[in-house]
Amino acid sequence: MVRPKAPAKKQQKKAIDFKKIKRKLGRKLPPPKNATNTEIKSKAIILPEQSVGAEKSGIATSKKGLTLKELLQQTSHHNPKVRKDALLGIKDLFKHYPAEMQSHKYAIIQKLRERVTDDDKLVRDAFYKLFEADVFPACIEDNLGPMVSLLMPYIFSAMADSSIDVRLMAFKFFHLVVKNYPPTFSLYAEKILENYTDIIQKNHFYVQDKSKLKVALSGLEHCLSLLPCDESDTESQKKGHLQNETLLAYEQDVAEESVRFAHVSGKLKEIVGVLINCFQDFIPLIRARGGLDEASFDCINHILCGVRYAIKFSNRMHIPRQAILDQETASMLLKKLLGSFPLNPENNLSGKVAEWYFILNSVLTEIFLEVSKWSQWSHLPTDLSNRCLEFIERTLLGKITRGNSKSTHEKTLLALLPSVPKLILRVDHDWRDNLLQAFTTAFNDCKPDSELKLACISTIRDLIIPNGDILYSSASDPTVVDYQSAWVKKLPSLLNQLGDKHPLSTQAILQLFLDLGRFGCLNASPTFEEEPTSEEEPTFEEGIGYFFNPYQGKGNVSGGSFASLPEEAQELALCFLFYFTIDSFSAPLLESIVSCCLYPQLEPAVLYRIVEILHTAYRAGYIQITDHFSFLVTLVARFKVVPEKGQLAMECNEHETSRDTFKALTNRVCSCLSEMGDGPLVLQILEKILLEQIILKPALDNGCAILRMICALDSKPTRLSEKSIATLCEFLPGYLIDIVKSIPEDKEKSSYLYMQTCLYYLVPCYFLFDRSSKLTEEVLKRMQSIVSENTKALESVQDRESGRNSLNLIQHTVSVVLLMHNDVKLRKIISSSKAEIDLILQNVVSFQSSGSTSLTVEAKHSMRIAGERLKIASNSLLA
Amino acid sequence: QSENSSLLPSFSEEDREIDMEISIIASSFIDGEIGSWDLKTGKALLKFKPCASPAHGLTAVGDKFLAASQLKASGSSGSIFFWSWNKPQVEVRSFPKEPILALTANSEGTYIVGGGKSGEIYLWEVATGKLLKKWHGHFQSVTCLVFSGDDSLLVSGSGDGSVKVWSLIRLFDDLQRQKGSTHEHYFTEHTMSVTDIVIDYGGCNALIVSASEDRTCKVWSLAKGKLLRSIVFPSAINALALDPCGSVFYAGGRDSKIYIGAMNATSDHCTKVLGSISEESKAITCLAYCAEGNLLLSGSEDGKICVWDPKTRHPVRTFDHGKGPVSNIQVVRKTFVTNLNKTLSSWKRNGASLPPPLEKFEKPEEDGIVIVDPPPFSDVPVYSSYLSADLIDEQVRELQQQGSAATEIEMERLKLEYKKSLQMNDQWQKNYENLLQVVMELQNGVTN
Repeated sequence: MVRPKAPAKKQQKKAIDFKKIKRKLGRKLPPPKNATNTEIKSKAIILPEQSVGAEKSGIATSKKGLTLKELLQQTSHHNPKVRKDALLGIKDLFKHYPAEMQSHKYAIIQKLRERVTDDDKLVRDAFYKLFEADVFPACIEDNLGPMVSLLMPYIFSAMADSSIDVRLMAFKFFHLVVKNYPPTFSLYAEKILENYTDIIQKNHFYVQDKSKLKVALSGLEHCLSLLPCDESDTESQKKGHLQNETLLAYEQDVAEESVRFAHVSGKLKEIVGVLINCFQDFIPLIRARGGLDEASFDCINHILCGVRYAIKFSNRMHIPRQAILDQETASMLLKKLLGSFPLNPENNLSGKVAEWYFILNSVLTEIFLEVSKWSQWSHLPTDLSNRCLEFIERTLLGKITRGNSKSTHEKTLLALLPSVPKLILRVDHDWRDNLLQAFTTAFNDCKPDSELKLACISTIRDLIIPNGDILYSSASDPTVVDYQSAWVKKLPSLLNQLGDKHPLSTQAILQLFLDLGRFGCLNASPTFEEEPTSEEEPTFEEGIGYFFNPYQGKGNVSGGSFASLPEEAQELALCFLFYFTIDSFSAPLLESIVSCCLYPQLEPAVLYRIVEILHTAYRAGYIQITDHFSFLVTLVARFKVVPEKGQLAMECNEHETSRDTFKALTNRVCSCLSEMGDGPLVLQILEKILLEQIILKPALDNGCAILRMICALDSKPTRLSEKSIATLCEFLPGYLIDIVKSIPEDKEKSSYLYMQTCLYYLVPCYFLFDRSSKLTEEVLKRMQSIVSENTKALESVQDRESGRNSLNLIQHTVSVVLLMHNDVKLRKIISSSKAEIDLILQNVVSFQSSGSTSLTVEAKHSMRIAGERLKIASNSLLA
Repeated sequence: QSENSSLLPSFSEEDREIDMEISIIASSFIDGEIGSWDLKTGKALLKFKPCASPAHGLTAVGDKFLAASQLKASGSSGSIFFWSWNKPQVEVRSFPKEPILALTANSEGTYIVGGGKSGEIYLWEVATGKLLKKWHGHFQSVTCLVFSGDDSLLVSGSGDGSVKVWSLIRLFDDLQRQKGSTHEHYFTEHTMSVTDIVIDYGGCNALIVSASEDRTCKVWSLAKGKLLRSIVFPSAINALALDPCGSVFYAGGRDSKIYIGAMNATSDHCTKVLGSISEESKAITCLAYCAEGNLLLSGSEDGKICVWDPKTRHPVRTFDHGKGPVSNIQVVRKTFVTNLNKTLSSWKRNGASLPPPLEKFEKPEEDGIVIVDPPPFSDVPVYSSYLSADLIDEQVRELQQQGSAATEIEMERLKLEYKKSLQMNDQWQKNYENLLQVVMELQNGVTN
């Protein structure tokens, strides 16, 4: 190897001492051609491994490459920053690997729960956020119970921690747990309440530290709201699905919620006291200039709501011995809490602040109403009750408007309305009248489709039928009755305004109507009866009439909504109709119902139900016999069957056609008629009306139905009068020919379906013929004359159109005779009038042989066939 | 004795050997008679005339006699007729204040309860005819009345669709009445008139089934006091009968079909149908079940009574009651006491003298108010939730233990008598000894 530079250096060293070697600048000596490249290049530097357990591919890791196990270990690291980072890491891990959470949740919780008592604020916050955002939402579907039971001991110990911040976080965290798993409260109720009492009472937060106080109070309010205090939820359970109820089972009383909480009442009493004291601390703030700030409003609201829940719960328990509200607490409530009622904002405050005061006042009023349930009205401090009543009255009247948004006002009213009925029963007369007036105003003012209207309706219900049982005690009091009748009178028009878009409200009104009818409130009191009202305002009855009538009413009133309501509402309406008929059945109402029945869109089932209901009402004696007759007859005579002709029931069998509906209706009407008394007697009454209908030549189906009605009532021999028989003689030939005309003959004439269809229309005629031989004779005679007339016409008339008509008529007549002949029983009956049939035959045959020019070949052929068949028939009659 | 047998020609020698004779009685809305038939042989028995009773207006009072409320009223007052079992004519006529629709008696036949057209309910004592209690039950007419199996509760159904349950003992509690709550339960879920109610064997915690014109049958629990099931039928139901096994009930529809409803129905609609009497038959108006032989009896609008075998769902036999619709059928069991040498049945003897007519008005209250329950402490569990015949029995036992003044006097008398007889006994003993001595002495004297 040649090293060119090394000798140069040696030379330099030597030269330093002696002489300066001149070097040429700017030019370098080119490397010697045989120089070797000594540069070292490499693509990567590979070091030997350092960590042992780092094979992490396929294992869930956080951003920093740590596994869940490592992260959990780090959560108990002595450095708070590491702990926090570990928690954040877990959060990150869950974000990318949600399944990790599910599979390791118990391990995770067992490790993480220690962090509730962490002394670093940032760690605690991270911990809270982890649970809030990830752990609980991920487990929401499974039973949180075991997890909560793992957490609770740590939470309780944190609640008793020496550091106030840790304690607060414990409460905050506990609130989170309760939000996610409400049964937590009932499981640990006693201990939880104890802790809350402790924190609110002992560590006196001064009012300054409101945000901290708020944490505790909001949690407490939430817990108290879980006490079973709302009666409405049990009501709704009642109406829930019944199929899950066990018929026979041993059930322990403990299962009932209120029993589960029975032992906490002592603690509740304590906490109510603490809350009242807390409220007292806020009083200076309430009265301060400038009004409340938001934080204090929140605190006060939580306090008051908490108290309200506790009292509601104790009122519901109905256990006077263990009540929270003993005399002492009650007086404390009245003095300390309600003494400052109403909280009045200064006039110059902004709208929002004024609204806060309004909300607080309404909660205070609710508390007052709850307290007043417990003691006698007269024992309450008069000025306080007056102030409360005034507040309620002004709210009902909508007079407290300053700063109130509509929703707040409505919410308050919804909360206050349920207690109005009981209040009205208790207060003295002056206040009662005021409240009644205010309630009437509120009822009239709210929108028909609002929730408030619904609440008003249930209030009306409670006012007229308290407990669903006893009539309003002062029903004899004319002012109360006046108010009541005013409300009730408003309801039908409200019902019509609602239409079919608000089934809930409609149903509530109908239920109210039904109950009023059932309990006789609608009819018994004379004020509910018709009174001369202004022209625009329809009377109660007219309103009901509109409701049922689906067609356009008077003026611009749109059709009633009955026909388009859901099934349940219709059923309710019909039940109401039954009770309504007791005293208030009138011709206009009947008209409405008939037009409802004839409404094409009406469900057949509802139609049958209407007939059933009215028949029941008739049987009970509420509807006059004449009205009922006219109802039934009108129904049968006017019902429109679509399509009118052509495809009779032969083709469409899939769904019920209006023809099937009409058949079923006819059956029902007939059975109703037969239940009304002795057949012949009923017939005697109905004969005239029915025959009047027949003279009008109704459509085939209606005609058939009327004939069926006659048959159902008649007996053998017929009881019809001479005149009626004559009318029937006029009608029947045309009817019979109609049958043949409208039912298209099948290719195979004897097909079962065809025979069945024909038979349905023919059977009533058969009955009539069977019962009156005279009728048979007359009808055949007429048919014979039709044939002879038409043959004559055919011979003379040259007009092609009328010629075909006559020909068809003859053919149809022949078909009728053949049809009648086909029936075994009827063959016997008509055999007595063989002469007429022979005459028809003669006519046909003679016409055929006459060889009229007007006949086409086809016509001639068909006439011949007709003649042959008639001949066979007539021969068999002889035999 | 011979008179009796001639009045009842159907009792042959064979009849005397059986312990029980089961017959059915039926009445109609329209003027007619109460027909009775022997269920086993199908023989027509005596007809009781005249009678036109509404649905649920016919009842056998224990096995003593027959009572029926009458639709035809004289003036504003109603009428109730009694027949003894062996005479076709009305024996006792009572005229209550208003027309009575539903009528029933407890199983022993000691009380009769009637439901009026105005919703009032009347409770009479049979033996004296006294009107013990009259109270306002419903807003509209009372359509049916049923006693619970242990006779402690009365269930009433009304035209206003409500069903109320009354405790017979609490009815007499004046304090409760002043408070305004006399009923035990109040069910308002039916939207139309209640047509029939049946109750199972659970005593005061039974299940009841009610039928209504609103096309539903509802199952209620008296123990829980609430609705358990609501089953919708294709037509209004006129009558109900309970199967003895308690899991199904039969419902007679206005569409002439008899439906089988399951108590523990899982769907809202009933699908099973037992059958109809015949093709063109009319609405079923009443049903009854006879546990002996497992037969279901149905009466219809056209006056036919049909006996069914519910297992095979086929009719077994029909009776013709007449033209009018059958309004009531009841199965009557008459017990014969065979070991009496003259084969007199207990009911025959009782029937010989019927009780006095039922009184029209309540007797004015005796002074003082009656309190059954200790009301202020209604949270004491025994009194608030437990009301049954057992309670009555217990109280009777307590009363008996305490004893009455009369028995004490009797005891005293007996004790006195006992003492007297003891003394007498001593006396006789002495006499005997004296006599014996004399005899001995005499004997000694003779031998000497």
